[in-house]
Amino acid sequence: MVNRLLNEDITRQVSEFFQQLQEPVQVLFFGSKNNCDYCEDTRQLIEEVVGTSDKLGLSVYDIDQDAGLAQQYKVDKTPGMVIAGRDGDQILDYGIRYSGIPSGHEFSSLINTLVVVSNRDSGLDQQTRDFLSKLDKPVHLQVFVTPT
Amino acid sequence: MLAHQMALESPMVEAEMVEAMEFPELSERFHVSGVPQTTINAGAGMVVGAVPEDHLIHEIQRALRS
Repeated sequence: MVNRLLNEDITRQVSEFFQQLQEPVQVLFFGSKNNCDYCEDTRQLIEEVVGTSDKLGLSVYDIDQDAGLAQQYKVDKTPGMVIAGRDGDQILDYGIRYSGIPSGHEFSSLINTLVVVSNRDSGLDQQTRDFLSKLDKPVHLQVFVTPT
Repeated sequence: MLAHQMALESPMVEAEMVEAMEFPELSERFHVSGVPQTTINAGAGMVVGAVPEDHLIHEIQRALRS
């Protein structure tokens, strides 16, 4: 029996918070067997999180064995995750990624991102939405964070 | 989180959260000193700290002009 990363309290809180989920979310996890210190923990963490709601699904891939898929989803680091929507068999890629383990402060960010994606509503101010709707050039944001 | 919200809102936006300590080379390339640090289009723009929506938009506009 593998020790769980999330204790009972957290699992219950997350599960209650996820009552508000509306549409299916698919997490695509990419790991690697080579030089990946956090792959196993990250896979276990997302497995436990996804297990708290039937609106959430998880696909586990290997960045080398599934290189084509990794390229398609622009995953170039491990552990890497794509937080996508799902509509039947169709994966809806919104361009939302995690590189590295979302632990500590980033754990709550992961939970919130899952909610936002499930509800298909960014929750942004109208002004921000107006600006984004007029974007005609690609914008790639990389947000560097630390676990604490 | 804000970056992810923007990615959901717009097909033109991609947002990647990067755990800085796991990817030191990338963090070094973008001179990450404080977190969160948001890098726009591989260094065309940059914001340090958690900022309000209008602040990040302002920086995105500036990065797109540069």
